[in-house]
Amino acid sequence: MQMSATEVEKLVSQVLSEMGRQNFKSSTSQSQTKAGFVPNEVFGEGGCEPFDLDYGMMDTNSPELQEPSPFARTNRILKRVHSIPETVSDERALLYTEAHKMYGGTGGSQIIKNAKILAHILKNVTINIYPDELIVGEMGCPARYAPIFPEFSYDWIEDELKNSPWENRKQDRFECSAQTKENLLGIADYWNGKNLKDQLLGVLTEEEIKGSSAGGRPVFFPNLYMYGGVGHTTADYETLLKLGYGGIKKSIVEHLSKIEDCTTKEGIEKREFYTAALISLEGATCLFKRYASLAAEMAENEINSEEKEILKTIASNCEWVSENPPRTFWEAMQLYHLATNIILIESNGHSISYGRFDQLLYPFYKKDMLENRITKSRVAEIIESFYIKIFELRKLRDEGTAVLNSEVGMGGTTLLVGGVDKDGKDATNDLTYLGIEAHAHTRLTDPWFASRWFAEAPWEFKVKLVNVIKIGTGQPKLFNDAAIIPASLAAGRSLEDARDYTMVGCVEIDSGGGKEYGAHDAAYFSLCKVLELAINNGRCIDCGSQCINWSKCGAVGLQLGPKTGSLDTFKSIEEVKESYEIQMSYWVDRMATFINATEIMHARTKPLPYLSTIKRGCIDNGLDCTAGGAIYNFAGPQGVGPGAVADAMCAIKQLIFDEKKVTGTEMLDALRKDWVGYEGLYNLINSDRVMHYGNDDDNADQYAVWGSKVYFDEVMKHQNTRNGKFLPGLYCVSANVGIGLCQGASPDGRRAYEAVSNSLAPVHTMVGTHDVKGPTAMANSAAKIDHLIAGNGTLLNVRFSPNCVAGDNGRNNFVSYIDAYFDKKAQHVQFNIVNTETLKAAQKNPEQYKGLLVRVAGYSAYFVKLSKELQDDLIGRKAYDSFD
Amino acid sequence: MVDKNMSGTVLNIQRFTIHDGPGIRTEVFLKGCPLQCRWCSNPESMKVQPEVGVNKEACLGIDHCGWCVDKCPNVALILEEKKIVAIDREKCSNCLSCATSCPNDTLKIFGNSMTVEEIMKIVRSDRNYYEQSGGGLTLSGGDPLVQWKFSLEILKACKLTNIHTCVETELFCKKEIIDHILPYTDLIITDIKHMDTQKHKLFTNVGNEVILDNIKYIVKNNADVVIRIPIVPGHNNDDENIRITAEFISKELNNRIHQLQLLPYRPLGVDKYASLGLSYSMNGQEKINRDEYKKEIENIAMKFQSYGIPAVTGANKLL
Repeated sequence: MQMSATEVEKLVSQVLSEMGRQNFKSSTSQSQTKAGFVPNEVFGEGGCEPFDLDYGMMDTNSPELQEPSPFARTNRILKRVHSIPETVSDERALLYTEAHKMYGGTGGSQIIKNAKILAHILKNVTINIYPDELIVGEMGCPARYAPIFPEFSYDWIEDELKNSPWENRKQDRFECSAQTKENLLGIADYWNGKNLKDQLLGVLTEEEIKGSSAGGRPVFFPNLYMYGGVGHTTADYETLLKLGYGGIKKSIVEHLSKIEDCTTKEGIEKREFYTAALISLEGATCLFKRYASLAAEMAENEINSEEKEILKTIASNCEWVSENPPRTFWEAMQLYHLATNIILIESNGHSISYGRFDQLLYPFYKKDMLENRITKSRVAEIIESFYIKIFELRKLRDEGTAVLNSEVGMGGTTLLVGGVDKDGKDATNDLTYLGIEAHAHTRLTDPWFASRWFAEAPWEFKVKLVNVIKIGTGQPKLFNDAAIIPASLAAGRSLEDARDYTMVGCVEIDSGGGKEYGAHDAAYFSLCKVLELAINNGRCIDCGSQCINWSKCGAVGLQLGPKTGSLDTFKSIEEVKESYEIQMSYWVDRMATFINATEIMHARTKPLPYLSTIKRGCIDNGLDCTAGGAIYNFAGPQGVGPGAVADAMCAIKQLIFDEKKVTGTEMLDALRKDWVGYEGLYNLINSDRVMHYGNDDDNADQYAVWGSKVYFDEVMKHQNTRNGKFLPGLYCVSANVGIGLCQGASPDGRRAYEAVSNSLAPVHTMVGTHDVKGPTAMANSAAKIDHLIAGNGTLLNVRFSPNCVAGDNGRNNFVSYIDAYFDKKAQHVQFNIVNTETLKAAQKNPEQYKGLLVRVAGYSAYFVKLSKELQDDLIGRKAYDSFD
Repeated sequence: MVDKNMSGTVLNIQRFTIHDGPGIRTEVFLKGCPLQCRWCSNPESMKVQPEVGVNKEACLGIDHCGWCVDKCPNVALILEEKKIVAIDREKCSNCLSCATSCPNDTLKIFGNSMTVEEIMKIVRSDRNYYEQSGGGLTLSGGDPLVQWKFSLEILKACKLTNIHTCVETELFCKKEIIDHILPYTDLIITDIKHMDTQKHKLFTNVGNEVILDNIKYIVKNNADVVIRIPIVPGHNNDDENIRITAEFISKELNNRIHQLQLLPYRPLGVDKYASLGLSYSMNGQEKINRDEYKKEIENIAMKFQSYGIPAVTGANKLL
């Protein structure tokens, strides 16, 4: 039985009246620059600056003292924003709790409840518009403040409030007022047991938790989605910009009317979903209207005529797009920005990525330019203001995460430019160049700026990118169309969607158009820990009374993994491989259980109705994205340490089985004793007398290829709970430091608790780096791993000295280096342009290097704010110099 | 035909060099040099034979390791406080066993025997970097023409597979050798260290007549040539020498060179002399004021330019 038109109308008006509105209809209706800067205002000629402008190296002084933009407005905003201390805000948490109590009491539908809670926040949260900005909107708290998301996990918040206050942290430091602390402690009791994490651990067995990061001696780390939201997705901006909220609401109402049978479970659930979707969109409209009113009010009181006009435009932009599709570039940017912030307010999940900025916004830019409605320099200013708004977003993480992945900021604010279009043709346009220039003019950690790269891309575009990389901010990161499109196809996406791919989070491949809910950061998985268990009969190498699990594990005759033999008895490298393969299967199974249980808890307790309205597929399917409503559904766990596995295998093969310099028993003894008494062996393994991954030596590199493939094959056997596949990645961001802290010494020449090798990089230990043949050999080694199977992404960090890429020759060789590496079908590369001496000096005298940005892994951060462990890891990475 | 199995003594193979020839290159350093420049920063490249260097700071001590002492047949290793500090070169038979057993390059072998094919396998690995950047192979040393037959086979192997070749040589050799090498060489990089043969001899152990004559010879044979002058203060930076050098290039060579590169002398390699038991005869140069020195080299470049010579400072501006 279908609902009658009157019934539909009644339901809709009920939603509207609850939100205090009558209908969906909307109710109403040049800059200073640096001396010598003459912007190119011609449409179709790229950015405002010459394509080959050499920006030079960045200043490492305090960022507040710098004026990187030719636009005075941008510099004013930067100065203001840099001076705001990062602070915790309790407002969202309190509003959430208030609404949770208000709607929770009645029982009812979780998704409708969540929609109402979101709408409650959007209607009541304090909002601000700041001086000079052209794009407005916050994520439920003031600029550079971090909101709290009590519904996911609360034990760490309570614990840290009481025992290790955020303002005393060394990394990810946040201010927090006494009142905020009191307020947050006041809701702790309410959230205990009700939050997602507490419920998740209740459905897993002790054996399943044991090898996870929740169990003390982790093989895998599924922390992210256990402690917080999933994120790692991009909205269907194309549809949003085309239809506006009003159009999407109309579409929802149409779907509501077309539910075939409202007597069935499916029909009723669809109706439930659409109702929640409408409520959440009404909340969004309301927030836009509130910004419109605030801007109008501020315009009234503004005396500066230019700013008055800008505020009036902001008011009209917000008012118009609160319901209608944008007509101008500026309106489109306003909708793009605030619509994304609402996703963040709803879900906490980081890595809500902006998709292909230059493609999404181009139609608006083109129309405005051709109709003389805007100048290119104003477009540039709007983009720069928008970038700084993204930099304002902050996220509070637990202290453990803050030490390991320090200074991630909001996380995954990836914005992509460049690449081919859906037909495979060059899609570079003016906004591509303007997007790149905006990073050169803001030099911030956010957005996580990314560019696609392809062999036939314009020379001007490649030069512009490389010149911006040479500034040394570690941005942008580069993605290779020639590898990612086939990898994306292999993962099961259509050719059109593969060509329209975008990047999410650090390096994750996602289909364009908001068609995918990819759970791309489902877990980190230590390949090196699996090898440790494989050579030591399933026991940790440092098994002993110092282990936190000793009393319930080693002391009672138990061990972490299954018994699969040890170096004491293995007769050949083949037996080591076999043992690794059996351990791998066991541990990937355990991880899959954990990930899928987490997915179930998200779908049950934290459906995301607002995000689902702007994910393609959810409205058609009448299903929330956490429940599988999107078109593509993946879950992506990352393998960590292929380099470490390779070098361990190299040492075992060469020294135990080939040269017979040591026995397997001696090797295990050396590891258990952390190499004490085995200094000769330790040094030998860390010298180039033992073969190593990263030197373009097939004999060594084969083990990185094999170690990764065993992982890929096991992961791809699994299905997630959203009717999608598991898709492996091969990268670690900065988790290699944390993973190392949980592991004893290993045969790759690593001391106990030292960081393991990062992403695709070769091993470096306290003795030195294992790659000694230069950046081409290293890249060749990395390219041997099958990048087409690693469908969730790979990561390679390369560090050059500034001297190495200096001048036109340096620049041209740099372009060639990227082209040649990508010609080998590698997915991704990112660069640091900094000397080791500079990093060491900054570690010693942080005051003088406050502005020194470095590429950590998927993200850039201020070096002096990083943890000592992570700083050491960065210093230890090989820097390629030129040799003359 | 290329003799793939011919072998020679290789000091080092450095990938991703970007200053010795155009683009991204692989540079093969062969051992042996006919000159003995006092400022040479690679003294380990002078002899053709392999030799062992001692990096005493790295030694773990015989209590923790001692593998080398067990292997040495001649008791030639000199110990201080249970650590290796030097080799008694009188007693040493250069069997290399000590260095072969050392776990960490305290004892390092300079010079390995490799075949043409072994070298080419490494050279070929970076082919697509050469193609993207216009790079290729550079033979250097020492002087690669000391082992010229071996060099010739490597160059032939490169040209057979269309890899750009560059030879960095002192040109202190017979013309017949040049005749063999030139057809397989796309670019020659060579030095003029001084125009006065006496001074040349004082600092390099040989006179300059053969070298200057060979430079004229290769230019006459239309070779593509980059000439380098290491500007060594107090040796070759005086106005008179600059003038005569400029006249040689402009009159004798008609400026038919690809580029003249003026390179700063750097007091590198001091430790290496010590590691090989050699003395370093350029002491005092480390006190040079780097900024003034840089300015001086720029001034010298302008003097050369006034003769119409394509002079630049540094090795990274090759067009």
